[in-house]
Amino acid sequence: MCNGLKGLTRSFAVVVLAAGVAIASTPPLQAEENMWPTLKAEAFGDRPIQEEDGMVVLETPQKVEDAALVPLTVRVPPHVKGKLKSLSLFIDNNPDPKVATLTYGPAAGTGGERSFSTRVRVDNFSHARAVLELEDGSLHMATKFLAAAGGCAAMQAKDPEADVAGMGKTIVRTFTPALKSSPIWSGQVMVKHPNHNGMQLDINTAKFIPALYVKEMTVTRDGELVFKLDGTFSISTNPNFRFTFGKGEKNDLDVVIVDTDGTEFTGQTQASGS
Amino acid sequence: MPKTEETKQAACGCGAYPLSRRNLFGAALALAAAPLLRYDPAQAASVDPSEVAPGIFVHQGRYEVQSPDNRGDIANASFVVGSDGVAVIDTSGSAKMGAELREAIRAVTDKPIKYVINTHMHPDHVLGNAAFSQDEPEFVGHYKLARALGTRKESYLAANEQMLGPEAFEGSEIILPTRLIKEPTTLDLGDRELLLEPQATAHTDNDLIVTDTKTDTLFLGDLLFSVHVPTIDGSIKGWLALLDEIGKRNAARVVPGHGPKTMELPQALVPEQRYLKAIADDVRRQIAEGKTLSEATKTAGFSEKDAWKLFGQYHVRNVTAAFAELEWD
Repeated sequence: MCNGLKGLTRSFAVVVLAAGVAIASTPPLQAEENMWPTLKAEAFGDRPIQEEDGMVVLETPQKVEDAALVPLTVRVPPHVKGKLKSLSLFIDNNPDPKVATLTYGPAAGTGGERSFSTRVRVDNFSHARAVLELEDGSLHMATKFLAAAGGCAAMQAKDPEADVAGMGKTIVRTFTPALKSSPIWSGQVMVKHPNHNGMQLDINTAKFIPALYVKEMTVTRDGELVFKLDGTFSISTNPNFRFTFGKGEKNDLDVVIVDTDGTEFTGQTQASGS
Repeated sequence: MPKTEETKQAACGCGAYPLSRRNLFGAALALAAAPLLRYDPAQAASVDPSEVAPGIFVHQGRYEVQSPDNRGDIANASFVVGSDGVAVIDTSGSAKMGAELREAIRAVTDKPIKYVINTHMHPDHVLGNAAFSQDEPEFVGHYKLARALGTRKESYLAANEQMLGPEAFEGSEIILPTRLIKEPTTLDLGDRELLLEPQATAHTDNDLIVTDTKTDTLFLGDLLFSVHVPTIDGSIKGWLALLDEIGKRNAARVVPGHGPKTMELPQALVPEQRYLKAIADDVRRQIAEGKTLSEATKTAGFSEKDAWKLFGQYHVRNVTAAFAELEWD
């Protein structure tokens, strides 16, 4: 099923799934095809991208153990001094290759290592890419290969009832750095959300469970934007994000999350004692 | 005893499928007993169940991952013979293994095969079901088994075809249960009854405990692993809680999903409880320390590394599952 979807654009995939069309027999669409030139053109047009130039580092597990929950970490090393404009994550061979795009705001911070981590679904053997856009508009890319074995199997919830229970519960944390004067702090957002990818069959109705996933997340620190994230169903169930932000006065984080149904979830750190 | 491709090829000494260690002993005996090379491959059948209690037969799977060589023979498969018929409890990991299991049943009894019970959804326990369709049994499972198999059917079949290879995989299919167990239920085999108890999410969300009340034998499926590292595909908290409950039960013997043919309560549970608790304790501590999932996968539970087979294949996945569950506590 997922193989048949490979390389389709999201909108087409959603239409096919929504129509409940049996696509299991669809022949794989050129599984070996290199998707990146198309993805690159869609996302960045003909802008040049510097590859592996040390401005951005992508960390992936040596071996993908659970294809439904693959941790990805992007680091922008401390020698990169300026502000960040955006960060885009791709998994070329996923049904929706665009994992997330972060558009940074004034509270994203400078003066230390910046980072972003999340967990993704990986449908098949694929390249994962992080494309960083700096303030000067230059683009920098780091690429890793993911040998995922689980494929669609791992896309299925271990316990569908548990995933839906408490949906929307949002936990926001800040981690006070050892040196409180450090200009870069880190935070975490976890949201209880199934992030349905639209590919799970409901056996009772013989229909696909509609895609329902976190589409937007806005993180602010003391009222100033850290980043706005546009997400897709390539992000794992119960989306989990670690990120850095610039030290502020109170360092209170507020988070607003909107899913594809338009449901809004909010969370904030507890009144700051730090 | 059934003749198989494996034993036929092994007998002619030119097989792509060499004799397994387990078959070797039987083969050696057969060779020793037979003049010249009149070796009877039936003596080396890979399904060779033992009667562990009156009317209770268990075949032990290998401590391996699926391969063309083992043909999915990696989980225990059992059957219970009553005066009215037979119940099969798990059918091994391919239609070919299921067919051998069926032959082994037929070597013991010609009573009708009334029930094929699956203890949970995993392919190494259900892919042999296809071999029993001809008997038109009731296929019985936890009430969530149908959904679990229905949603994973394509991927289970694709993954197992790849691991087993086309020859060993041939004929394997997912057969959905025809009878779903939501409450404790007894199945009548004539002079004996089986008690079926659906469990809350533990190893998976569709674990079923089967008890032969006549001999006080508990079939725990993959709620109990021995030697083979446990795999978490449900809830580590649910599993630990259920193991505490199982430990309070009395039974003459338990049959694990992976491990020896029979074990005894409560000591059978101890290594698995220790393993799961090691992961839960380490992961909880790391979450409290603000560690990430990828950091946890490098250290949590590694004190158990030398205690299990297949640790390298499954442990990091177990830690990942545990972390994703426990971080919400």
